[in-house]
Amino acid sequence: DSGVGVRKRKTRWADEEPRLPSVVLPDFMNDILGSVDLDPEVQALNIRMLEITRFLASGGPLDERPEGARSPSPEPVYDNMGIRINTREYRARERLNRERLEIISQLIKKNPAFKPPADYRPPKLHK
Amino acid sequence: QQQIALQRLVLQAGSLPTKVICLTQVVSADELKDDEEYEDILEDMREEGRKYGNLVNVVIPRPHPNGEPTPGVGKVYLEYTDVDGAMKARQGLHGRKFGGNSVVAVFYPENKFAEGVYDN
Repeated sequence: DSGVGVRKRKTRWADEEPRLPSVVLPDFMNDILGSVDLDPEVQALNIRMLEITRFLASGGPLDERPEGARSPSPEPVYDNMGIRINTREYRARERLNRERLEIISQLIKKNPAFKPPADYRPPKLHK
Repeated sequence: QQQIALQRLVLQAGSLPTKVICLTQVVSADELKDDEEYEDILEDMREEGRKYGNLVNVVIPRPHPNGEPTPGVGKVYLEYTDVDGAMKARQGLHGRKFGGNSVVAVFYPENKFAEGVYDN
């Protein structure tokens, strides 16, 4: 190749596919990916769980609708120090935590080999 | 535990990393019959393959002019000086589109490649 009259050839290679943003996956996701599960339902559950995990870690935004448009808040509950316990943020996190636990138990049901995240404690079935 | 996972991954991939990768489902015999087109494809491969490491050799088996079946037609072999380059190339090229075809990249046994055996 002398480089004389370098033709501008059009390469047959398509542009590199836009890769998914390379997030550093938490360990538990790697474990899931290790046992690649192609069941779309399981995938959807895994994705949702990742979303929740990320949201909880980031302390994402709450429901930003104005006061009147949201459903009414429950009666406030206070601790002994007089600080409100059931704040909107607290309730939002609780809701997501519950959903996450529910997803994990479903994943375990679908795949007994599924390795739940380190912080997962199976819910007590009976008190 | 991580090692077991790694081993499983390697076994799943079907082949251990080598310095040679084989791109399957890339080109058609028809494309390779034409000299100019063949050179073009060769250049495309060199250009792209270089991006991943020290590319030393590109082999694209061509169909026999008399129509005799030739092993390895439709495949493209890229040889690197080290496994690292081949691994990067496999990672980077697998799933990419070449002339509309979805490329499948696998490691190819070095000894076979050295002997000029292009099959499987």
